Amino acid sequence: MPLNCALKCVPKFCRPLFQQNLASCIAIKPLFFQKTLFHSSPCLEAWKNKSNEPTKWLEYNNKIYPPQKPDEEPRPAFICHQRANIKYSPWKMWYIACLVRGMPVDEAIKQLKFIPKKGAKDVREVIEEAKELAVKEHNVEFASNMWVAESFVGKGKVIKGMRRHGRGRFGVIEYFHCHYFLRLEEGKPPKHYYYNHPKQPHEMLEAWLEQMRKRKIINSL
Amino acid sequence: MALRGLILSTNSRTILQEKLASFIPNVNSQFVRYRRTKHWDPKWKQLRRLKVFKIDLPNFREKNSDLTEEQIRQRLKENGLLPPRPWQEQQVSISSTGQVFEPYIPPEGDGKISPITTQGAKQNLQYLEKKGKTMLSVRKIRQYEEEFDAATFCKEATQIYIKTHELMAKNDPDIIKYVTERAYPEIIHNTNNKTINWQYIKDIEMPRIVHARHTNVITRDNIFAQVTVRFHTKQILAIYDRFGRLMHGSQILAKDVLEYVVFEKHMSNQYGIWRVHDKIVPDWLPPKEPSRKTHYMIADATRVDNKVETVS
Repeated sequence: MPLNCALKCVPKFCRPLFQQNLASCIAIKPLFFQKTLFHSSPCLEAWKNKSNEPTKWLEYNNKIYPPQKPDEEPRPAFICHQRANIKYSPWKMWYIACLVRGMPVDEAIKQLKFIPKKGAKDVREVIEEAKELAVKEHNVEFASNMWVAESFVGKGKVIKGMRRHGRGRFGVIEYFHCHYFLRLEEGKPPKHYYYNHPKQPHEMLEAWLEQMRKRKIINSL
Repeated sequence: MALRGLILSTNSRTILQEKLASFIPNVNSQFVRYRRTKHWDPKWKQLRRLKVFKIDLPNFREKNSDLTEEQIRQRLKENGLLPPRPWQEQQVSISSTGQVFEPYIPPEGDGKISPITTQGAKQNLQYLEKKGKTMLSVRKIRQYEEEFDAATFCKEATQIYIKTHELMAKNDPDIIKYVTERAYPEIIHNTNNKTINWQYIKDIEMPRIVHARHTNVITRDNIFAQVTVRFHTKQILAIYDRFGRLMHGSQILAKDVLEYVVFEKHMSNQYGIWRVHDKIVPDWLPPKEPSRKTHYMIADATRVDNKVETVS
């Protein structure tokens, strides 16, 4: 009996979410709801106008910088792009996002083609879209003359499902979605993307000397 | 895996292996069960599957445009929703006309052919006819706007012209007070995300009315008037992209600009104002060179001697 109940329950359980998604899809306000969801309208109001997608990242694309003097170094163009709610684990996506950081775009696309992970396809598509947009809308000269300046992952919608356990208990299954954020910048990538890069021998020597000179000798002058 | 197992079980193992070596990936031929939490007997597989409730995950990546009409109908039915009301009304602006009627054709060169020739005679006749029509229209305008005078109107037109360009550069929505609904989309086209520096320096020649027309729309009393003014001015134009890099023009170079601007007013409207309606670009004008998108110096002096190459 509890099993039957739970089975019936599930579709209804997902219904408000699905309805909300559909309503946003076809841009209408639902006129009527079913009786079983009689008291759901206040919660639906709370959901209304709330986009499922993050909005702040793309705001950077609207920032306008002041005109430069002819003798100034031209400011490198950049473009922010994202893909929201990819059906993939954010933790798994992190590895792919890390991989492409600091790579030239074409190299990143090439590398991603050889990654047998589901998320690699989405990342590749986002990079390709961003490349296209950069030329189309952001006055970038050559799409290939760009590098991946920022690449990171955010947690998207989590949809909860159910799973039967023994003795009439149940467990919750979380269906994760993730957001992928990207910023491409014009120009050549820096030699080292991260600050803590492996040092050259002469750099290590300099650091060591510096450290030795700075040390405090106790009971000295 | 199965293929490999099959091959390994045969007697002619070595021969086959040699032959198929390039086709079979080098995998472990021993069957190893890594997972210990699952029952070995597949008869429980069905029941294990039943432990998880199947739910329909919403597709967040789906777009409205990707759905066919049939699919939308199906979704609405599934969810017990009514289809959206067809919304077929369209906004119509009646405070301006949609085009320039009998547009002025700017003369090419000095615009005069010898009056002795047939062409010249014809041109003279046309010129007279057009001038007559212009005078009629000016008279019509005076019926509604008694103090209409060419000299004062040109001053007013200059102010409107300057204000239009300044507001366009500022991306100010107040621009609609200075341009008609027809001209508005043309003016704001491509101004997004750009910095425009526009300066009006001076008149080279005094602006003058070259053309005037009027027409009635729907009813006889509903009159629109259009006046074409010739501006010959000195201006500075520099357009910068989002990152402040110069895209077009120059901040220090002033250029002479000759323009024929059409102003329109809804005469029957008591509160009508003169607004920029269009700019006349003659057919005979050669097309302008588009702003250069890319140019870079080739560093290799042996190949090209410090030449600026343009790549579009």
